Amino acid sequence: MIVQLVFSGLALGSMYALVALGYNITYATSRTVNFAQGQSVMVGAVVAYALYVGAGWPFVPSVLATLLALAALGVLVERVAVRPFLASASIAWLLATIALGVIAENVAMLTFGKDARAFPSSLAQRAVTVLGAGVYPHELLVPVVGVALMVLVELAFRRTLAGRALRAVAFDHDAARLMGIDVTRTISVAYALSSVLAGVAGILLAPLLNVSATMGTTLGLKGFAVAIIGGIESARGIVVAGVLYGIVEAIVAGYLGTGVREIVGFALVVLVLLARPWGLFGVAAPRRV
Amino acid sequence: MRRVTWLGLALLTLCLLGTQATVGFTQAKPPITVALVAAMSGGSALSGEAIKRGLSVAIDEINARGGLLSGRTLELVVRDEEGNPSKGVTGARDVIEREKAVAVFGGLHSPVGLAMLPVFHELKVPYVGTWAAATAITRNGRSPNFMFRVSANDDIVDHFLAKHVIEKLGKRKPGVILENTPWGASNQEGLTKWFDRLGARPVGFEKFNWGDPDMSPQLLRLRQGGADAIVMIANAPEGAQVVKSRAKIGWDVSTVSHWGISGGRFPELTGELSESVVFVQTYSFFGKQSDVGERVIAALKARFAVKGPEDILAPVGTANAYDAMHLVALAIEQAGAADGSKVRDALENLGEHRGLIKTYRRPFTPEEHDALTENDYILVTWRQGKIVPVTMK
Repeated sequence: MIVQLVFSGLALGSMYALVALGYNITYATSRTVNFAQGQSVMVGAVVAYALYVGAGWPFVPSVLATLLALAALGVLVERVAVRPFLASASIAWLLATIALGVIAENVAMLTFGKDARAFPSSLAQRAVTVLGAGVYPHELLVPVVGVALMVLVELAFRRTLAGRALRAVAFDHDAARLMGIDVTRTISVAYALSSVLAGVAGILLAPLLNVSATMGTTLGLKGFAVAIIGGIESARGIVVAGVLYGIVEAIVAGYLGTGVREIVGFALVVLVLLARPWGLFGVAAPRRV
Repeated sequence: MRRVTWLGLALLTLCLLGTQATVGFTQAKPPITVALVAAMSGGSALSGEAIKRGLSVAIDEINARGGLLSGRTLELVVRDEEGNPSKGVTGARDVIEREKAVAVFGGLHSPVGLAMLPVFHELKVPYVGTWAAATAITRNGRSPNFMFRVSANDDIVDHFLAKHVIEKLGKRKPGVILENTPWGASNQEGLTKWFDRLGARPVGFEKFNWGDPDMSPQLLRLRQGGADAIVMIANAPEGAQVVKSRAKIGWDVSTVSHWGISGGRFPELTGELSESVVFVQTYSFFGKQSDVGERVIAALKARFAVKGPEDILAPVGTANAYDAMHLVALAIEQAGAADGSKVRDALENLGEHRGLIKTYRRPFTPEEHDALTENDYILVTWRQGKIVPVTMK
């Protein structure tokens, strides 16, 4: 039973981590996050469904087109809901991104419908047995892609010029601007990137969660919890926290009952916030007064 | 200038006279209005459309026969409650106070039906449910009771499911998995009661939330508890996750379900696993049909994009609504007036009626406001994405 629960938690936890990585990128560069990240995941799944299943495109072009669309969405979110409020140091971006998420959800209900639809994947048809526990091969794909993306994001941040620009912006907007970095554009790129990550998550999760207008709501929330626990500025921390959170959830549900699952999960968030406000793997930032 | 004004006035008078004349003509035989307040958009839009189709087919038949109360035609007005109880209340008031509806049909959502209940009692117009199954809609302790139903009732469904598990399948240790909502709670109550009366005790009641992606922890708990059958209270998306998780943990166990899973795209979401679940319906358009059934299918084919029974989506909505409309028509005729209170009284005293689902001996009595009983429920499953009676496999 424990092995089965760990596998369940692993798949779920990597889903949360995938979503949470998107929070990491924008927070690091602009101290803002897209609170509609869960809905971006949904948009990714819905667009991919529309192209791949609806319009009958081959898989690869569907994925590329979806990711392109999501990058555009990210730029749009930043332009409409974040940039206007950055200068004034207000947190109106928080409400604005939530509002965009609600709009996205309702547009999806109008155009796509509220019925859950199946996204075919040959890896999610039949369960296989691993270590005595049943698992859909597709579920194993989620942690693999999650870790790969994390490594990719970290490498890109460290090794590429654009990545360094992102980090410089993260470090200090004014200093970066003095160095000739276009801060506004860099933040825009961070949003596009974060949105693309959400798109990847959407496509990857669609066969497991089914495609529906509301599929991203809980994911977005749990993803944010994971980002807080792991330390929103640490990609590695997020992946570890995501997987741990998923496994704790599954084990609590399995042994104590589903009723207490959310209580324990979110109590954990509060505890971490109390003990380590910067997250389990984050670094405490010295407050400049 | 003056001449033009006079001409204009004359013309206006003529027009007014003209409209007066037509108004006068229609006033001789004003139509009788009935209303549908149901979810016509959103996730349950399919159910609202199915109910509207059933009502429309029945109304066409009645109007083709010359209407009711010597020549008054029936007219349907529809309000969308979007699954939102307060919109249901507004809609119910609107159709009764402004549209003068003499009876209001209800849709899939139990919370909406329960929220509208006081409105019908205040305005004295009968509600006839065609889908929502919450026990308390009809069994509400009011007298006179304005709530009627031609659909399933959770309490009766729970008895039906419990009996099937214990008597037909011969299982003694059922495990229940249900959604964490008032609907789930209503069924937990019913199942606890009926399993207890049948001398069995469920090994557990496991709950899930809407949108939960993985139900294996809940199922593992039931399996650990020694469950030998699963009773499932779920709508299509979560029901699909339950069945997929069950296959994942390699648990081959009889699964019986309430009818929530028939309101969405369960077969699409689960593939061949859909064939491993049996569930409740009030009617099936598959198999041998009575002449009423043939007539309804023919009418659906003629009016809507329906080629055969497989295109009748959410079939219980259509079947329940069709019978409900005919029963209301009989009551209006018997009451002799388009008056809500009189129609209500008549509904309790109708005679025999040959309907689609069955021949109703006495559809409603002052004590029993559910026209369908356990004997009218059928057990069905999916075969290649179509709902078929279990006996036909």
